[in-house]
Amino acid sequence: MNSKNLLEVTPKAHLLGLRFMVNRYKVSKVSGRSEASEERSTVKCLKDWSTWTMKKAKVITHYGFIPLVIIIGVNSEPKPTLSQLLTPF
Amino acid sequence: MASHVGLVPPTPAPYKDNEPKAAEKIDYLNLPCPIPYEEIHREALMSLKPELFEGMRFDFTKGLNQKFSLSHSVFMGPMEVPSQATETIKIPTAHYEFGANFLDPKLMLFGRILTDGRLNARMKCDLTDNLSLKANAQLTNEPHMSHGMVNFDYKGKDFRTQFQLGNGALFGASYIQSVTPHLSLGSEVFWAGQHRKSGIGLAARYNNDKMVATGQVASTGMVALSYVQKVSEKVSLASDFMYNYMSRDVTASFGYDYILRQCRLRGKIDSNGCTAAFLEERLNMGLNFILSAEIDHWKKDYKFGFGLTVGE
Repeated sequence: MNSKNLLEVTPKAHLLGLRFMVNRYKVSKVSGRSEASEERSTVKCLKDWSTWTMKKAKVITHYGFIPLVIIIGVNSEPKPTLSQLLTPF
Repeated sequence: MASHVGLVPPTPAPYKDNEPKAAEKIDYLNLPCPIPYEEIHREALMSLKPELFEGMRFDFTKGLNQKFSLSHSVFMGPMEVPSQATETIKIPTAHYEFGANFLDPKLMLFGRILTDGRLNARMKCDLTDNLSLKANAQLTNEPHMSHGMVNFDYKGKDFRTQFQLGNGALFGASYIQSVTPHLSLGSEVFWAGQHRKSGIGLAARYNNDKMVATGQVASTGMVALSYVQKVSEKVSLASDFMYNYMSRDVTASFGYDYILRQCRLRGKIDSNGCTAAFLEERLNMGLNFILSAEIDHWKKDYKFGFGLTVGE
């Protein structure tokens, strides 16, 4: 009986408005969560990928820098010979 | 007749008066390019901070080419380990270092590797006439102890700018401009993500043929002033003052630099009670003998070193 009275008393527009708000809140919450999780996963993906490249670059530089300098030097003019590289004079 | 003779001389005189005036007038559109921001204290650092060492050092540089050279270096001696106690802890170490250098007008590569796996690499590449790329890295086998930094330098007609990127989210930028033929002013800004620090700094440098005076202030609390006077071709005197207004740390030092035909002698005395001297003696073409001494009376730390450098 009370509920019937309430329905009669509250204006329809107000009820409609409330329902609309509830619907909108529900929809935005769901889409917001998926958007935020998508953004977070792309950022995480980017971070992971950049960390992986930095680690690989560090290992490559650590092992390859000095050989690279030697290769560039040996190929510059006038070309030094291998024996010249190894002897101390 | 006498009046005619009297009238002739005045005409050349105005030209002579104008010439020195024209030389003194500063052409503000044609100022010289300033030296890079990080080298602003260059003369003072060269005179006051030689590479002091303790122990024995032997360096051998073998040039294979105009551009390419290999270097072998042996070091034996106590190395200081940073410690919290007031006493310095020294651990005797010996290591061998192999290095390769490549020097081109456009590209410079410098690499040094130690027996414990530490790599020290530097690269400088001129991408265009005005833009150059510099990179340096210290890589170790221990995790989280490696550092790397990349710089982009742009050189304009009378200014230089630099942008820096380092690992640990380090960003920096600096700008220096020639204001008069003798004075240049610059500023820098940096942001370190890992240590959550950022700062801004200003610097000024005044130099003429006989002296160089520089001043630098930073928001990290550091104030550094230096003055170098070139007393003659062979002798220059330098003094340096460093003050940190956050930690109330003051250091003043005074030193001399004698560049003679056969040797280079540098000595300095500090307000921390530390005196140091560094001698490089040229025994022969390509053969240098090095003596280094650093005496710290306050901390009772005495360091003496000797070495030999073979090769250019």
